[in-house]
Amino acid sequence: MKSSNIWIGEKDLTKDPSFIEESQLEFRQDNQELAEGIVESNGNRRDFLKILGFGVGAATIAAGCDIPVKRAIPYVVKPDEIVPGVATYYASSIVQGGDFCPVLVKTREGRPIKIEGNKASEITQGGTSARAQAAVLSLYDTNRYKNPLKITDEAIEKHSWDTILKEVSSNMSADSVRIVTNTVMSPSLKAAMNGLAGEENVISYDPVSAAAMLDANESTFGVRAVPNYHFDKAEVIVSFNADFLGTWVSPIEFSRQYIAGRNPEKRKMSRHVQVESHMSMTGSNSDNRILVKPSEQGAAIAHLCNAIIGGISVPNLNDKAKAGLTRVAAELRNAAGKSLVISASNNPAEQVLVNAINNALGNYGSTLSFDGASHQRQGDERGLYQLITDIKAGKVNTVIFNDCNPLYDFSGAAQLAEALASVDNKVGLLYAPSETAELCNYILPVHHNLESWGDVEAKKGTINLLQPTISPLFDTMQAGSIFLALSGAENTDYLAFMKENAQTAFSAQSNFASFDMYWDNALASGGMSSTSESASTSFVADVAAAAANVSKPSNSALEISFFETINIGNGQYATNPWLMETPDPVARTSWGNYLAVPVNFDGVKRFFGMGEMNLKDGDMVNVRVGEKTVKVPVIQQFGQMPGTVSLALGYGRTNSGPCASGVGVNVNDCLVVVDNYTQYYNSDVEILGRAGKEDHFSCVQYHHTLGVTAEDSETGETINADETALAPGYGGIGKGYQGALTDRSIIFTSHVDDLDDNIHDLKHFREHAEHLNSKTLYPYEDYKEDFYTQGHHWGLHVDLNSCIGCSACTVACMSENNVPVVGKKEVSRHHEMTWLRIDRYYYGDVDNPNTVYQPMMCQHCDNAPCENVCPVNATNHSSEGLNQMAYNRCIGTRYCANNCPYKVRRFNWLDYTTADIFPANQVKLNNEDVPFGADNLTRMVLNPDVTVRSRGVIEKCSFCVQRLQEGKLTAKAEGRKLKDSDITTACVTACPTGALTFGDVNDKHSAISKKLKSDLNYNVLEEINVRSSVTYTMKVNNRDNSLDA
Amino acid sequence: MSSPVSNIREPLITGHKSYHDITEDLVSPTERTPSAGWIIGFALSVLTLLFGVFCILWTIWHGIGTWDLNRTVNWGWDITNFVWWIGIGHAGTLISAILLLFRQKWRTGVNRAAEAMTIFAVMCAGLFPLIHMGRIWMAMFIFPYPNTRGPLWPNFNSPLLWDVFAISTYFTVSLLFWYTGLVPDFATVRDRAKGFRRKVYNFLSFGWTGSAKHWQRWESLSLVLAGIATPLVLSVHTIVSFDFATSVIPGWHTTIFPPYFVAGAIFSGFAMVLTLMLVVRKILKLEDYITIGHIESMNKVILVTGTIVGVAYLTELFISWYSGYVYEQFAFFNRAMGPYYWSYFGMMFCNVISPQFFWSKKIRRNLWWTFFLSIVINIGMWFERFVIIATTLARDYIPSSWSYYSPTWVEIGIYLGTFGLFFTLFLIFTRVAPVVAIAEVKSILKTAGDQYTGPNAIHGHGHDHSAHTHGEELETVSAVSSVSETTDEGTVVEREIVVPPHTGSEDDLKKIEGIGPKIERALKDRGIRSFQALSGMSVEDLQYILDTSEGNFTGNSPESWAQQANLAAEGRWAELKELQDRLDGGKF
Repeated sequence: MKSSNIWIGEKDLTKDPSFIEESQLEFRQDNQELAEGIVESNGNRRDFLKILGFGVGAATIAAGCDIPVKRAIPYVVKPDEIVPGVATYYASSIVQGGDFCPVLVKTREGRPIKIEGNKASEITQGGTSARAQAAVLSLYDTNRYKNPLKITDEAIEKHSWDTILKEVSSNMSADSVRIVTNTVMSPSLKAAMNGLAGEENVISYDPVSAAAMLDANESTFGVRAVPNYHFDKAEVIVSFNADFLGTWVSPIEFSRQYIAGRNPEKRKMSRHVQVESHMSMTGSNSDNRILVKPSEQGAAIAHLCNAIIGGISVPNLNDKAKAGLTRVAAELRNAAGKSLVISASNNPAEQVLVNAINNALGNYGSTLSFDGASHQRQGDERGLYQLITDIKAGKVNTVIFNDCNPLYDFSGAAQLAEALASVDNKVGLLYAPSETAELCNYILPVHHNLESWGDVEAKKGTINLLQPTISPLFDTMQAGSIFLALSGAENTDYLAFMKENAQTAFSAQSNFASFDMYWDNALASGGMSSTSESASTSFVADVAAAAANVSKPSNSALEISFFETINIGNGQYATNPWLMETPDPVARTSWGNYLAVPVNFDGVKRFFGMGEMNLKDGDMVNVRVGEKTVKVPVIQQFGQMPGTVSLALGYGRTNSGPCASGVGVNVNDCLVVVDNYTQYYNSDVEILGRAGKEDHFSCVQYHHTLGVTAEDSETGETINADETALAPGYGGIGKGYQGALTDRSIIFTSHVDDLDDNIHDLKHFREHAEHLNSKTLYPYEDYKEDFYTQGHHWGLHVDLNSCIGCSACTVACMSENNVPVVGKKEVSRHHEMTWLRIDRYYYGDVDNPNTVYQPMMCQHCDNAPCENVCPVNATNHSSEGLNQMAYNRCIGTRYCANNCPYKVRRFNWLDYTTADIFPANQVKLNNEDVPFGADNLTRMVLNPDVTVRSRGVIEKCSFCVQRLQEGKLTAKAEGRKLKDSDITTACVTACPTGALTFGDVNDKHSAISKKLKSDLNYNVLEEINVRSSVTYTMKVNNRDNSLDA
Repeated sequence: MSSPVSNIREPLITGHKSYHDITEDLVSPTERTPSAGWIIGFALSVLTLLFGVFCILWTIWHGIGTWDLNRTVNWGWDITNFVWWIGIGHAGTLISAILLLFRQKWRTGVNRAAEAMTIFAVMCAGLFPLIHMGRIWMAMFIFPYPNTRGPLWPNFNSPLLWDVFAISTYFTVSLLFWYTGLVPDFATVRDRAKGFRRKVYNFLSFGWTGSAKHWQRWESLSLVLAGIATPLVLSVHTIVSFDFATSVIPGWHTTIFPPYFVAGAIFSGFAMVLTLMLVVRKILKLEDYITIGHIESMNKVILVTGTIVGVAYLTELFISWYSGYVYEQFAFFNRAMGPYYWSYFGMMFCNVISPQFFWSKKIRRNLWWTFFLSIVINIGMWFERFVIIATTLARDYIPSSWSYYSPTWVEIGIYLGTFGLFFTLFLIFTRVAPVVAIAEVKSILKTAGDQYTGPNAIHGHGHDHSAHTHGEELETVSAVSSVSETTDEGTVVEREIVVPPHTGSEDDLKKIEGIGPKIERALKDRGIRSFQALSGMSVEDLQYILDTSEGNFTGNSPESWAQQANLAAEGRWAELKELQDRLDGGKF
């Protein structure tokens, strides 16, 4: 073919002469020019090659920089304390405001993954709380501040620490600096803050105030502190609305003490009377609840005081409470010196009366004292009101917020925000965005608790230490160092500062010769205690004057009380997904606050929420509180006093990250302030009416009772109200219908006085069950002999008398076993994944029931119904009595979950862990950009010993098999027999009251073997022959039935 | 092979069919172009099927969380539909296997369609155990095959594994049985077909020649398969019931489940057969093969099995009370009075009350009633499974975990999708295979055809009619009726009307333009029952009949009737249509 025949375009084809000419000019001059125009170089071929070479090289280097960080980097020089695959524990403390928990932090490959209690602590003795357990997750909060920021109207600028600290300190003018903080228990931090602003300019307040109690103690005893309580020594405990087992002052410590005073085995139980309107967790654990309206609390305290001391005037109080308190007074007098009266009231006059009662009963020095007084509440919100005044007077040019959030949780938040507008420098030493951060113009991000050095003096004379368990993840700074830097100190090393402060404690002791030895020992054990001289106090008060100042009962038809939840407090913990997902122990709700309304039984067959209004769970209602109207979902709450409702604080956060923002409603601005003391109730409240249904009503328990009784309105007989109310038909056909609820062998309860009879009945039941179970075709006895009594056989004992429902175990389990967080919508569809749930049932009188908490996890049945129905053997039995799951093998038929009588198996309905092969399934929390746990930061919290489950498989409690294995290996490596102490499960270590005991049932000397000898024991659903390995005890109460009359 | 049949017995084939008629009637639907109704039905079915496929893919892609099942109710519509569809299939197997062994001749009219229904229903059912799995891509784990995981075998204790075997066996045997029956019929279709179609049917019929040896082997195989299938009728649903009965959940853990499930399955299966066949016989004009007698027989089965199911329900209630076992008592009380009470009472009404209407012969033989009740029963049986599964799980041992369950659009979509699959397959089936088993129907023609038995029989028994084919002289019937006539004179003259010889079959004379129901009755009273008879009548005689019958027929003229009837008798329908277009009310 001739070349002329080839044409490429139209011009070729038509042989356009100008085109042909152009095409011949391969190296034309204007081509060169054109190229120059672009590259602006006198480029020739060589240059081109140079540029090419450089370009490729540069691109390679640049691309090299973008290579994702390799996640498995071997150590060149291995740090001493890190052995891959072996956990290292550091003693530290979890501190958040006044909340305090000494802990051991479990780290793996240098990252903290789990919080355990520190048994060396005298205060908590190894107990933890849900809040402490969850602290490790907030370390990996994707939302936390990562750099110092300067915020102006135009922009958010990142600055280096040097420049920003210089700028802040140059803007500060002496004497016009105020530091706002929650309770600070750290002597060193306090010193650093005082050094910067002067002690009088450090304003301390608490998200839920105890200011009145502090003031009352100051006025009556001259000590501004919370006394050191000994609940274990009290035979009669009267608590006026103080949730001392859940949220009040030092719940971990109090829980252990409280349970120590209640031992049904020895027939020795304290009597606990709770005076309140809404069912608090502490109230649910009490023997008796005396119902008073929130505004009647003062009258109730005055009434009790009058009954004991006499001679004071008492405002009106409902008759039932009056009668009850009179009887309680008699009981208190009988237990003089061995009783305890406490109140959460934020009215100083009422607290004075409480002190007067304790004083009259001679309780000071026995059940409470100012020796080793608590520092866990030091706040006074009046300081904040003073701050507002000072700002308005122009006395303030810099306000520093030390890890607190007054613009959310302070009752005068709106006034404060308004005042702050005129302050030049608003500096936030904050961890993550919050309502307060929104107003700051400098954000100085602080370390997480687990990245920090620190000391805590939670109780006078007992110092615990914080030590970093991971190097700071981001460009943050220790709060103490910031204060030191701002105050112009040359050495901003906070550790050195702390050590310096510890010198006095060192010199006061005699056990250690050198400071280093003293310090190292303190670090290793988590703390040090120095003997504190006992304070001599004497009671001085004008009781009659105080009685005149108690809050006056309101005539309002409806009152509302506000309370902090055990999970998220007053919002301090709202950004933690584990705590958000953990159901409230009483209401069993999560992801939001729900208006608790009283339940009325009509005496025939129906329950009505809020009487006439007939509100149902999940109904949305508009509630007007004072001037604010909020739209909240309803939960019917047994034990809620008629004429009152209650609503939790801490929700409805804004600007606080995806977990907290917009979940629930904020009611901090509904609080009433009297004499600048915040009152946690409001009498000006009205339910305006229904407003539809909650879209995602996240309550994990729909049925709340196991045998509550009521009086039949027709016959006057006592009937099982919940049974008759179960279904439309029960009222007619099934009045007292056998077995609907009462005869279920799930919960056994007894009064302590009837214990012998009930133990006899229980024994009979167990014998009958065993009789039924022995009638089997299969040789269970042979199995038992050949297998179950050989080697280890793991068992768990749950003492229902010690379980207070605090949920520490639930969160510990989530943390240990990588249990996913599923979010509000999924919880509302009953897709929660918790391996360990705490069932809560009410029993007894319908208006004022008793409560039993029942931790429910896989029962590891030896004759497990789940095992034989699995078509693929994905779940099977180990030779040590464990019911095991092979996630790899599971195909997700969910037959096992159906056939589980305890309903403890959990199915991965969607891709909750982002471990799926399909990318589009990830469940988002509150429209988060990235699903929870999908990012590498949050994934650092995962326990590498536990498989992350993918979508479509069943999972459940494994008795922490990874811990069992670790314990066995330890014993093996040390060439000895396994000891009881080698092995604990996450839930057991978390429990503050020792309600859970885990161990080898075949080891006759193990703790569990001893527990299994109790007459109170039973297995749930014993008669269905599943042979569970979890044993419960009968729940015993010490109710004084005469109080109900 | 004909056995003596009582004259009282209703004929199973009407219309005085010859062997050729049968072939013609049953094969022609596969040869015609589909009707508009079929096309619309097919399009709807395929659309529903596609939506179902979408919902299934949605489930697989996103997870079972797209359904509203929860930690308490882990099975819902998925397993309800599974059990329901499996149950639907049972009638086919019962008809083809057990009724074959019992030599029930009426089965021949419906067995083919019922078996096809079985297969399609099992296909629909088989979907659910697969898609209800959390990880369907690991579904092979349930099969015992040598593997490198140990080897790791499935758990032979698990009823779900038994299901796998039961259902796959059931499907295989049903398919074989159905196909075996189709072989001679495919050959019949082939013999009438041309070209490619002939090749396809030749392949499908395995080269069937109809030799005696073929027939002999075919008969043997049918018997053997019937023998295998018979225990399957009982075992499949027994094993499905084990999914529940072997559990520890009160309300599931009952020994009555196997017989009760089997009875329920047959009950719902027959209801479904009726629903389908009532439509099919109408559309494909199979009234002569699926007669009212067939329908009545099936209604009787429904009555019996429905009553068994009712007894089972009451027994369960009694045992729960009698057991003294609290959870069992509560479970049954909860079914009736708990949050799902509506489904319990729905079930009770549909399954126990509604079949009792069939005690009435009138209702048994009424097409509309039958159709309506068959649908009611299908709904009721769905409720039964839902009650057993969802109600039981929603409130079992531990009250803290009680919950409620209702389906999402995805679950509903999948259920609809299985209907789409079922009807798509069924509609294709009506187009490619004879809906009634030709060979089997022919085999009973001599003993159950209406020209041989029943009130209109024209053949005596005991004759040998083996050479009887279309086109040969038919035995005829004729009728002579005397009609009194009042003349103008007032005297009564008897006029003799002679109806010409004709075959005894009865035709729809209303097809003749000008004849309405009243005239038809008048003519039939006089013995003029068929087109053939009518074609031989004179205009005068017909006019005379009109004049002397009750009613005012002055506007009607019989002048064209004979001509029309002649065309109709000879099957020249097109010409008749043409003629009728020209006629005005039957008048020229």
